[in-house]
Amino acid sequence: MVESFFPDNLEKALELRQKKEIRPIAGGTDLMVRWRRPAGILPAFSGDMLFTKNIAEMNILQKKDTCLYIGANTTLAQLIEWKWTPRLLRLALLEMAAPAVRNVGTIAGNICNASPAGDTLPPLYALDAVVCLQGAAGIRELPVSSFITGPGRTVLKRDELLIGIKLFFPAPDNDMVFYKKVAVRRAAAIAKVSLAMRGSKKNGYVKTIAVAIGAVGPTVVRLPEIERLAEGKTVLNAELLKTIYGEYDKFIQPIDDVRSTADYRRQTARNLLHHVYDNCIKWN
Amino acid sequence: MSDFDIGKPVRKVDNDIKLSGQAKYIADFHIDGMLYARTVRADCPRGIIKRIDIPVLPEGYFSVTADDIPGKNIIKFLADDWPFLAKDRVNYFGEAILLIVGPDRAKLLELAGRVYIEYEMIPAILTIKDALSNNFTPIFGSDNKFASYNYEKGDVDRGFSAAFKVVREKYSTGYQKQAYLENQGMIAVPENDGKISVYGSMQCPYYVKNALVQALAVGEEKVRIVQAFTGGGFGGKEDYPSLLAGHAAFAALKTRRPVAVLYEREEDTAYTPRRHPAEVTLETALDREGRILGMKADIKLNGGAYAGISEVVLQRSIYNICGVYNIENLRVTGAAVATNTVPNGAFRGFGAPQVIFAIEMHMESLAKIFSYDVLDYKKRHMAKQGDRTATNGLFYDEIKLPEMIEKAQEVSFYTSKRAAYQADPELHKGIGISLFLHGCGFTGSGERDIIKAQLKLRRKKDSKRVEIFAANVDMGQGLQTTFRKIAASVLDISVADVIFAYPDTDRVPDSGPTVASRSIMIVGRLLQKAAERLKKRWQENNDIEIIQDYEAPERIKWKGGESSGDAYPAYSWGVNVVEVEIDPLTCETSVTGAWSVFDIGQPIDEMIVEGQIQGGMFQGLGYAAMEVMANDENGRSRQNNLTNYTIPTAMDFAPIENHLMKTYYEDGPFGAKGAGELTLLGAAPAYASAVAQAMNIHIAKLPVTPEYIMREASENE
Repeated sequence: MVESFFPDNLEKALELRQKKEIRPIAGGTDLMVRWRRPAGILPAFSGDMLFTKNIAEMNILQKKDTCLYIGANTTLAQLIEWKWTPRLLRLALLEMAAPAVRNVGTIAGNICNASPAGDTLPPLYALDAVVCLQGAAGIRELPVSSFITGPGRTVLKRDELLIGIKLFFPAPDNDMVFYKKVAVRRAAAIAKVSLAMRGSKKNGYVKTIAVAIGAVGPTVVRLPEIERLAEGKTVLNAELLKTIYGEYDKFIQPIDDVRSTADYRRQTARNLLHHVYDNCIKWN
Repeated sequence: MSDFDIGKPVRKVDNDIKLSGQAKYIADFHIDGMLYARTVRADCPRGIIKRIDIPVLPEGYFSVTADDIPGKNIIKFLADDWPFLAKDRVNYFGEAILLIVGPDRAKLLELAGRVYIEYEMIPAILTIKDALSNNFTPIFGSDNKFASYNYEKGDVDRGFSAAFKVVREKYSTGYQKQAYLENQGMIAVPENDGKISVYGSMQCPYYVKNALVQALAVGEEKVRIVQAFTGGGFGGKEDYPSLLAGHAAFAALKTRRPVAVLYEREEDTAYTPRRHPAEVTLETALDREGRILGMKADIKLNGGAYAGISEVVLQRSIYNICGVYNIENLRVTGAAVATNTVPNGAFRGFGAPQVIFAIEMHMESLAKIFSYDVLDYKKRHMAKQGDRTATNGLFYDEIKLPEMIEKAQEVSFYTSKRAAYQADPELHKGIGISLFLHGCGFTGSGERDIIKAQLKLRRKKDSKRVEIFAANVDMGQGLQTTFRKIAASVLDISVADVIFAYPDTDRVPDSGPTVASRSIMIVGRLLQKAAERLKKRWQENNDIEIIQDYEAPERIKWKGGESSGDAYPAYSWGVNVVEVEIDPLTCETSVTGAWSVFDIGQPIDEMIVEGQIQGGMFQGLGYAAMEVMANDENGRSRQNNLTNYTIPTAMDFAPIENHLMKTYYEDGPFGAKGAGELTLLGAAPAYASAVAQAMNIHIAKLPVTPEYIMREASENE
């Protein structure tokens, strides 16, 4: 018999996590769909469920100095409305799913679902988002890129909960932002490919650049070392660009599936990448 | 009556009950003691059933197999090949083999999962090519064709022998799923006297009834079919409900309890009929000036595993192959072939969307080869009143295409945009126009020889209210309102004083199925005539019943065996313009504009017609652009829900601007012709033409996905 628990504070929730095999569920827009069964039959959850909605500590949404803290229960719709939400992230949220899903689905859920096509992931990778995990041993903070290890896989420990996300604000910049989700239709669709980019310039040279590409590999592709090749430059010569694109090509390894083809994804990801380097970053 | 216009919209009579959620669809029915049935399906595409192991069922649970069918285990269609439940062999992945029936749906799921079926596998035929390759044991007959046709008009050989140039092209189109909001569902209730009542979501109550009479081997009085509120059909509830009703009825008879068969979206999407994929080859002989001297057309439809109604779909394909063009010398061959895939069936347009796409794109190719403006070239070949149809019938009524084209050009700025986009390929913009027609009603002499529709109208003594008795259903298209409007308008009474209950075969005569854009034009006409007769007797002080039988217009001449004569009594016409802009990085298309001009005669309600147009064109654009459905190596659909089978949302295309060219059709009520299917036909070719211009590619298949555009564009480089 599957049991459901609705703890109202983090202490009780963590106690449950420690005591038993129990799965956290926030908005349920992924889990309810994954475990749903035909009409008239209850969902087939394999074990006990921990509903996080009442956990006060996970309902925080605040800006403190330069840090945005987004509690794990924050819904996608709340983030669209929140005035501090970084533009790059909002662009992705606005194209995500449909209003009904955005009203209950959470950003923490999107992270923990760890789909290579997760819509918030490329912006979060590009924004250097940090996830806050709390367990018996205390809190640990990890870049989202280290938290997710593969499709549906994260380093969340059995006794931990993802309690919130940190973003840094003012995000080092919002000078240059590009977001593109390629999907079969304009709403209620899963990405075939997506790309998020942000960059900043100072005195005419590029100070930072961050590019994250979704749905072209087991996890979102972001290559900080390659990004650094462009930093500090006022112009990229053809040779350097070729090197940069060549490095990305090694990681753009999409698959054929029911939504699209590997060929299309590869070419589209390349086109978007080239577009970002050629046109979005305003070289002098 | 001079300035009376029946087209003026009224409030749809079922708005309130539907919007408030009070309408009871079949899944909302709760009948005491009702059991549910779960279907156990083949998990291989083709094989001999060697063994069926059903687990020991708890008390109150039952299995229903082919052996429980009292009558003929064949669904009543044109050919005797499709069993309700497979007995010895299966012919497609997902074919129904048995039912597990009982009160608890979770338990049914578990029990069904424990049924074990062993097969001796037979190599499966999965494509049209395989179907005709002679490398496989045929599924149907000796040539593996459910039907094959050929006919000729004029002198094709002479046309070709005089040709300056011959152009041969191949076009192909994919599946399309009806994707109605409400999944298929039926509930059968055993009555005391051996009678069975079946309630459900359907388009054709009498098809279901006739199928059950045969399958149960009972008299007609022992089967009663009642339509429940129906959440969309689009053809998908023309054929399949007969199978579903059979399942429910067999189970109800065996268990002596009401039994519900309610499909899930996954089951419905993957295992119920969809639009036939087609391969169309057009070969055209032309003179020096590009005039068409003759055309050879070959059409192959993938019928799936059983014949179903594929032959009739094929007829519409082969008889509409010329589109709106006057081709004097024509030779047409066509076949519906058998494959080990889900049997394909009816879908809005019924074999026409495939060929309208092909002929429109082919005409565009011919124009390009001779460096003519596409629209000018099409206009030069358009049929006009008095010309002969593909089957040598007569275009009897005036054809208003020239005025319709002019209107479409005026509202869309087609001509100037076409030139501007051609001049600047870097814009990646395109605009396309399609011209098309739809033969209204049944193909050939079906109405006269097979359907023989009958309608009844009644006014009781001392009542001012009138009741319509007809078997035609409202499935969302508005028939509850339009039929009432026709009767009310003739009798000069209020719409509220017309009763039109959902069809119940114990109460209504067989006015035929709700298909083929026939309800208004054919049955609505019977209704108008009946109402006119009733009006003459209005002053009588007693019960009045009017029975109205179909009479074919005398001018209609049709020789079915020779495919010669008037394949349809009338034609509706359409012009669509679609404008697109393509993102060269992703090859995603934005539909930035869509315009239509339709001639459907007199609209019975302009708002309802507007609904048909908006829905039909979106459905057509979905078919054109995004609705991908493909089979895996077992012939099983890879798409099985609305996340992976992607129909468009309201956000996907620009709003559609519509105009009606009002004409008067003498054999339709108030001058009305068919409207429902026509609206889907023109979107795909107009869209494909626009995309072809925007990316400077040739488009030879549907759907035109970004993946396809990118591949074609890269090959062009």
